[in-house]
Amino acid sequence: MKIVVARLALLALVLAAWELLPRHQIVNPLLLPPLGDVLGMLGELLQRPQVHLAIGVTAAEVVVAFVIAVPLGAALGVLIAENEYLGDVFKPVLFYVFSIPKSIFLPMFILVFGISFAQKVAYAAFTTTFVVMLSAAAAVESVKQDYLLVARSYGATRTQILLRVYVPSMMPLLLEALRISMIFNFTAVMIAEMYASRAGIGHLIAGWGENFQMRQLFAGVILLAAVAILFNETVRTLEARCSTWRT
Amino acid sequence: MRRSLTLPAPATVRRGMLVAVLLLWELVPRTGLLPELFLPALSSTLAVLYEDWRIYSAALLVTLYEVALAMVIACGGGIVAGAVVGGIARLRDLLLPVFSSLYAVPIVILYPVFTAWFGVGPESKIAFAGIYAFFPVMLSTAAGIRTIDPQFIVAARSMGATLTQQVTRVIIPASLPTVFAGLRLGGALAIIGVVVSEMLTAAAGIGYLVTLNRTILDSPRVFAALLMILILSVAYYMLARAIERRMVVWQSAGRSPKAARPENAVVVPA
Amino acid sequence: MQHVANLARREEARQEQVAIEVANLSHVYAGAQGAVPALEDISMRVGAGRFVVIVGPSGCGKTSLLMMLAGLRSQGQGTILCHGRPIPDPDPQRVGVIFQEASLYPWLTALDNIEFPLSLRGARDRETREERRERAEAMLKLVGLEGFGERYPHELSGGMKQRVSIARGLVQDPPVLLMDEPFAALDEQTRMTMGHELLRIWSTTSKTVVFITHSLTEAVYLADEVLVMSARPGRIIDRIPVALPRPRSYEMMATDVFGQLRERIWQQIRKTP
Repeated sequence: MKIVVARLALLALVLAAWELLPRHQIVNPLLLPPLGDVLGMLGELLQRPQVHLAIGVTAAEVVVAFVIAVPLGAALGVLIAENEYLGDVFKPVLFYVFSIPKSIFLPMFILVFGISFAQKVAYAAFTTTFVVMLSAAAAVESVKQDYLLVARSYGATRTQILLRVYVPSMMPLLLEALRISMIFNFTAVMIAEMYASRAGIGHLIAGWGENFQMRQLFAGVILLAAVAILFNETVRTLEARCSTWRT
Repeated sequence: MRRSLTLPAPATVRRGMLVAVLLLWELVPRTGLLPELFLPALSSTLAVLYEDWRIYSAALLVTLYEVALAMVIACGGGIVAGAVVGGIARLRDLLLPVFSSLYAVPIVILYPVFTAWFGVGPESKIAFAGIYAFFPVMLSTAAGIRTIDPQFIVAARSMGATLTQQVTRVIIPASLPTVFAGLRLGGALAIIGVVVSEMLTAAAGIGYLVTLNRTILDSPRVFAALLMILILSVAYYMLARAIERRMVVWQSAGRSPKAARPENAVVVPA
Repeated sequence: MQHVANLARREEARQEQVAIEVANLSHVYAGAQGAVPALEDISMRVGAGRFVVIVGPSGCGKTSLLMMLAGLRSQGQGTILCHGRPIPDPDPQRVGVIFQEASLYPWLTALDNIEFPLSLRGARDRETREERRERAEAMLKLVGLEGFGERYPHELSGGMKQRVSIARGLVQDPPVLLMDEPFAALDEQTRMTMGHELLRIWSTTSKTVVFITHSLTEAVYLADEVLVMSARPGRIIDRIPVALPRPRSYEMMATDVFGQLRERIWQQIRKTP
């Protein structure tokens, strides 16, 4: 309880500094507009139809890419976790893939799909699939062989093993996998929109940055950060609930 | 599940796949299956690298310079901050949840802020890539520091170690694996951050060459830059791994099993 | 009869040198739900060169007691004397400690681990590097690990790690050795072998040993005297002299005397809630 108060105090301190330092010209308000102004701008932006459209486009891209990447990545992940040989072959490759900036493939997606909705979705799904794959493999491998042996010794069928052993014991990890994949997915959509696009929040943010519209820019940053944190915390709460039995 | 004897060794398969990819890269465009605009042949890409070697090596130098400074921020700052936050229980309880929440924010949206503040030169790339890599390095270091067995310290005290000796002879060697993992992660992320920011807004660097040549539809030059970045990231990863293996012979031995918990594995979007 | 035996024992106590003397030691620690009494009025006396084993249920404060004897934890009320002097801080020249998990440093080889306490003395000591090395090697040989000096802990078996740990405890040549369930993580066979090994090493070094264990068999097999502790707050509820002859052998475990001693400890322990 005390710690929550301390954390809130810390947050209040940061926000107060953001408001007061530029307000009193200690920090250049042209570079960092006071928090009040930024929040005012955020309210104003949320009224604009152009922003509504951008939010809609970005949300659609995020959702479609996620819906494509999760089953695909999960299937591949289960494959490399269940099949020892495929795992031996591909797991080291995945680690290399993680150290490569996936953004360098953006030009290829643009060449194939043009600067379009499909290009954003394809790029985001491409990068997210790798993460889902890795986390799915980790989730499958986390199921203890003992649990399976016990289930089998009591004569559980394949379906029963799947539903009553695999799913519950993987649940916390599955949620974590979904959460992390979503972070990746969101980032990928943002990068793709900021790189080359005609629509979406990322496009707006990049434009505001180029035109030095700092209030709009910070309002956009706050909006996106708030959405990301809200999603993350919701799933983390679910995770905590599903994993009360974990020590 | 014993591997059947007919299957080749995994390493062989991986080498085979690499050769196949390189062959396809050459043959698919040559035979006209894909236009050279979509995929220029490997030989044309290498030819560009050979012809424009000066341009590409100059760009590589700019990128490496930015990566090096970003690494100083990310690895230096991240490892120290992670050690402090992970090592001090009160600070850890206060701050770790905050940082894990912030981790969900796609940091790339801050890049326009940095270009507005620091301009389109190297400074904005260094700042962005530095911050981008800082948090994961800090989180993984904080997690790693916590896996050091407290019994190591008790044993040292029982053998009469002074406080300084406890730090230099026990805590520092015990945190080496964590520090090396932080360096590996931080370097890889710094490269990613620099390349992403160079692609977005820049006037120099390899990422800039990707974007510049994309807009004028010069595919061989795009792929030449792409190839360089691929080689750079894989080379860094291999180098970091090799150094890590040499320095930390004892690897994960002797650390508490908490180390294997998935929450300690930090993955980063890009 | 009883009176005569007491007199004889008192006489014996006066003659032998006392290595550890604990008087009226109580300890209360601050838990989450207020103060928890951990140790209550502990008094014990360990003669020099004796092998004393402490047994008791989990959480009875055995380890706390040992930590205090080693100067690793500040004590509550009461006195602890080691060879007549208090021990407020760890003093490896007087007391060596061997822990439950081997707690060897994984980044050091077996030999470097054994040499570690010597190297801590550094400038304070006139011993040269070669001399330190020689001493570490002698210890390695004493615990029967000659030729394994360059191995890292993860390349050694559980029993071998504990041998290295014992060597590390002995290398500074402290007169008193405290052992906190050193063999708890080992399998039964290795455990018995290690107990036997420990007795062999003990007989050649004439150390005073205070040894904590859960295993009643181990307690009887090793001890000159077994102290039985109660559940929290930990008190000493029985002191059982083990009159089995030394050197001990595995065959003794099958004897009636061994069985009776074991049974007596068991009856004491199960009485405590």
